[in-house]
Amino acid sequence: MSADGYGSIHRRIIEIRPSKGIFMLDLQAVWQYRELLYFLVWRELKVRYKQAALGAGWAIIQPIFAVFIFTIVFGHFAKIPSDGIPYPLFALTAFLPWTYFSEALRRGTGGLVGDSELLRKIYFPRLIIPIAMVITPIVDLFVSLLVLAVLFGWYNLLPTWNAVYLPGFVLMAAILAFSAVLWLGPINVRFRDIQHILPFTIQVWMYASPIIYPLSMVPEKWQFYYSLNPMVGVIEGFRWSLLGTTAPNFEAIGISMGCVLLLLLCGLLYFKRMERFFADLI
Amino acid sequence: MNSNVAISVDNLGKQYKLIKGSTQHDTLMDHLTERFKSLVQRTGYHSTRQDVFWALRNASFEIEFGENVGIIGLNGAGKSTLLKILSRITEPTTGRARITGRIGALLEVGTGFHPELTGRENVYLYGTILGMSKAEINRKFDSIVDFAGVDNFIDTPVKRYSSGMYVRLAFAVAAHLEPEILLLDEVLSVGDVSFQRKCIEFAKDLQKANATILFVSHNMFSIKTMCKRVIYLKHGKVIFDGPTDIGIKYYEEDCRLSTIPWKDGKPEEWPIFIKEFDILDHDGHSKMVFNYGECIRLRLRYQAHQSIQTPNFIIAIARSDGVMCCNYSTETDGFVIEKIAGEGVIELYTPPLKLVSELYTIHVLVREKGFQKLLCAQVGSTFHVRDDLFNTHFGVFHEPASWSWNDEYSSAVSSGPLKQGPKYQLA
Repeated sequence: MSADGYGSIHRRIIEIRPSKGIFMLDLQAVWQYRELLYFLVWRELKVRYKQAALGAGWAIIQPIFAVFIFTIVFGHFAKIPSDGIPYPLFALTAFLPWTYFSEALRRGTGGLVGDSELLRKIYFPRLIIPIAMVITPIVDLFVSLLVLAVLFGWYNLLPTWNAVYLPGFVLMAAILAFSAVLWLGPINVRFRDIQHILPFTIQVWMYASPIIYPLSMVPEKWQFYYSLNPMVGVIEGFRWSLLGTTAPNFEAIGISMGCVLLLLLCGLLYFKRMERFFADLI
Repeated sequence: MNSNVAISVDNLGKQYKLIKGSTQHDTLMDHLTERFKSLVQRTGYHSTRQDVFWALRNASFEIEFGENVGIIGLNGAGKSTLLKILSRITEPTTGRARITGRIGALLEVGTGFHPELTGRENVYLYGTILGMSKAEINRKFDSIVDFAGVDNFIDTPVKRYSSGMYVRLAFAVAAHLEPEILLLDEVLSVGDVSFQRKCIEFAKDLQKANATILFVSHNMFSIKTMCKRVIYLKHGKVIFDGPTDIGIKYYEEDCRLSTIPWKDGKPEEWPIFIKEFDILDHDGHSKMVFNYGECIRLRLRYQAHQSIQTPNFIIAIARSDGVMCCNYSTETDGFVIEKIAGEGVIELYTPPLKLVSELYTIHVLVREKGFQKLLCAQVGSTFHVRDDLFNTHFGVFHEPASWSWNDEYSSAVSSGPLKQGPKYQLA
């Protein structure tokens, strides 16, 4: 046998038995398969832009078009206020994290079903799939940040020093998407209805988040409850760190992220419980 | 515990819940309405609607390092379930198994290939899916490409590959996994015969390297060449575990009497059923492997529970991948049996069989008067056709033909305008 470390992992004893305890997460197995995680993310990225003449350019074009339309319809015709910030900049700072989140949610939910052949035929820690699906659109997010940089240049503005907190808000969105996907993915394996409910849910969620309108338009007495939507924290966080608008309500963020972490933990247990039946149900 | 044991299986079982009256992907709505109904009606939701069946039950055995064991059984006997449990794709309901060593499972080759990616990209993707590290694939890359023989196309998307190239490349990756324990399912693998042959060659190489192999196949021929020991599964249970010759005998006995599922009821309740089935050579000796072009004699002993007017006996030969190859019936051959009742024997003498080398299964049907009501439908035993040249790449059958030849230039001069095209002559 080869003397590399990887071989020795597989030479260990594998015990197979019905899993009893609910607290067996076996995250160690995910770590052992980290290279598969890398290749799955890489596959998703490659496949998406393959045979597209503009390739990864689409990650730039899409937000440009969306913000263009938002600016015309909501900024120009509907005259929605934007807290004194140029509307395109106002919309894009919110649209970028939102696009990431909705994409992660969409891919993560469909990921297991999309790779059903793998689930049926080959063993690997199933958690790898939702993790890969939530990581993939982060790459797009980074690419589309270029558009934002250009827009900043156009308006002759500079982001604030708070921009160092930006990764924190991306992480928040990622954790939120991952927690949701841990539930939606396995349910989708059993009931494909989820695939139909999801686009609609994403749309409603988008209007329930301050993307095209500012948080200040929400009646003051509802603002705290409104901010319990974790995406409000993410979006306001983006605007705060880049544009220097009012700081997000950290108390509301604390509460909502607390709930998200609970969702994450239960989601992990739920996923581990359900993954035993993936091959039988899918 | 014996330290020489590679796979130890103890009381392993897998239960499936059958959901009555709905498909597998039932909708969320169905699920919720059922729940609601059961709440209102206060009936047991699970007990009324679900039935269970054991795909595998109380399986126990031990396999030592370097042993090659065949898993045999009819369709639905639990062979694939066993392999799926051992390869950790699905979880057992009861019991446990312990596997010592680097395990490689080939339940289907090429799963995980992405059509849009190039051959090179897929080697890395599929390799990591199978559990190899990137460094390991780097090291073996040239050898994989060499083995597959696709050097010129390695940077072409695999969607442009022929199916043969696709399978070759996928298999080359899998073959470089160097497992200490190999779980091989020939049944689930792509129906390409040349691939199946590659599978066997690969397994033989591993055999020489003293690997432990668990081999599921319907092909008794390959089981015999590969394994000294077989485990025979029937209805999810281990019926026999021991020498290959004896195990195959049990299997073949059961094959004869197995029934095609599309005929309802138990064979014993049918108007007629086939009790015994023999495949013989023209001298009347029982035989399993025939050469290309040999005549086959099929003898079946029937039991008719009622008198049947002008029955039509139909014997069909199907290839292992499901292709119906030929069909003989007393009706079409003008052989009239006026009436049968009780026990009897009927024999079919085929003309020289020109089928290509493969594994074939015999189906027996009895119909009333011509092709009317189906009285009996059973699957008989299997036989092999052996030939060095003619395999499924040559078609379903091969028949020698006559040829004629004309030199293109001289014929163009002598036979007038070329527009008429070449002349074909039938002998």
